[in-house]
Amino acid sequence: MWESFRQNHLAGILSVVGGLLVWEFVSRFLIANALFLAAPTQIAYAIYELSLSGQLERHITISAAEFALGYVIASVIGVAIGFGMAANARFKQAMQPWISGLYATPTIALAPLFILWLGIGIWSKVLVVIFLVLFPVTINTEAGLRTTSERLVEMLRSFGATPRQIFFKVSLPSAFPFILAGLKLGIGRGLIGVVVAELFGARAGLGQLISQAADAFNMPELFAGVVVLAIAGIVMTSGFSWIEKKLVPWTRD
Amino acid sequence: MTDTTISGAAAAPKLQTSGLHKKFGALEALRDINITVQRGEFISVVGPSGCGKTTLLRMVAGLEPITSGSVMLDGRALSGPGSDRGFVFQNDNLLPWRTVLQNALIGPEVAGRISPDIRKRTVALLKLVGLDGFEDYHPRQLSGGMRQRVNLARALAIDPQVLLMDEPFSALDAQTREIMQTELMRIWEEGRKTVLFVTHQIDEAVFLSDRVLVLARRPGRLQESVEIKLPRPRALGIKRTPEFIAYVDHIWRLIEEDVRASVIEERG
Repeated sequence: MWESFRQNHLAGILSVVGGLLVWEFVSRFLIANALFLAAPTQIAYAIYELSLSGQLERHITISAAEFALGYVIASVIGVAIGFGMAANARFKQAMQPWISGLYATPTIALAPLFILWLGIGIWSKVLVVIFLVLFPVTINTEAGLRTTSERLVEMLRSFGATPRQIFFKVSLPSAFPFILAGLKLGIGRGLIGVVVAELFGARAGLGQLISQAADAFNMPELFAGVVVLAIAGIVMTSGFSWIEKKLVPWTRD
Repeated sequence: MTDTTISGAAAAPKLQTSGLHKKFGALEALRDINITVQRGEFISVVGPSGCGKTTLLRMVAGLEPITSGSVMLDGRALSGPGSDRGFVFQNDNLLPWRTVLQNALIGPEVAGRISPDIRKRTVALLKLVGLDGFEDYHPRQLSGGMRQRVNLARALAIDPQVLLMDEPFSALDAQTREIMQTELMRIWEEGRKTVLFVTHQIDEAVFLSDRVLVLARRPGRLQESVEIKLPRPRALGIKRTPEFIAYVDHIWRLIEEDVRASVIEERG
């Protein structure tokens, strides 16, 4: 037990604890200027205070709602477009330039425009999240369905399977890991979308908390927002990896 | 086996190809293949690479379009794949997300014939191929030899009238291959299905078969049908008998020229 812990986790934990200690030391004794850097203990205290006052909960709720709405909408649309592109060559030809173009464009730069169109409320942020999450999901879904192994299709055909049976018994399950990978990629991109869009203008949310703290040179609160976001990203991504391992164990090797 | 041909009807071939042609564009892959396989016969097809033996098998399976000619099962012409033929693939082609049992059941499932009875029979089949207790394993947990056993059980699960086998042991190491050959013989003796077996290994063909069909290449055509009159059941030791070696020698001489030509071509 201790041996496996030592093998797998010890180095990581020591490095994080060491890093926090160095950070604490640097910000308290070397920089020692609350306008530039906050020590980990100060950040932890800021998080504690923000949650006591109920502010943190309000910001998290707004950001989470924006993220969840955008993410779910983008996932549904993305998977649907991916299926459409895999099923119909004409549709794929029509969509491909848009998908490739918009995927390569930093669409986050459109956030100010979306705020002009949709206002300062949550929907402008939802739209940014949709734009960021949609394309990796679409591309992966299409690629997953396209790369179905010819040999597996032939195996099913040898048993007299119909195209419909081939789709449900081979194409769909073999595309599944690709779709999950696209959805996983979308988590990080969606989080970036929420925060950056909020920086451009919002009434509440973690991005707004950060920008407001920066304006007031309140470093502990600024870092508090960043830390909460980092934790959210880590929890969601590793949770997703865990689900992946449960759902598609055959892709492990 | 001759004692089964009592009436005239029983003497009709189980499987027959007549005037079978295959062209890939301008390339003539197979020319005028006429094969007759009796019920319960184990027939192998050997030949150098590029002689079209796998193409022939795929045409019989209905996986490859026929340019001209016909394939007949019990006297009626076949078009497309069907559950009357079970195909054993060179690469196991197992679905990685399914367990051994679920993989073996894919044929009945596609045909909409899943029932407790079929399940019970398929579990028994897995036992027959030596996979007792592995029903719930996934393909990634199995060795190459075990995966080919599932491949075989999957084809047998639809209880086909003819078993079509496409170099099923070619990806295995030499020792495993020999074990699988004796295993296949043991399983075959249980039901004596009609088998068409494609291989490039002459000793494998002689060991398993009642008859070995030798194909020549460019275009692929039937060169000779060699009847193997070795007693059954056969054990691996038979491979060291002079009779066995004489058969292998004879077939090797038939295809030697072609093999040399194909090897040089592959190099160039």
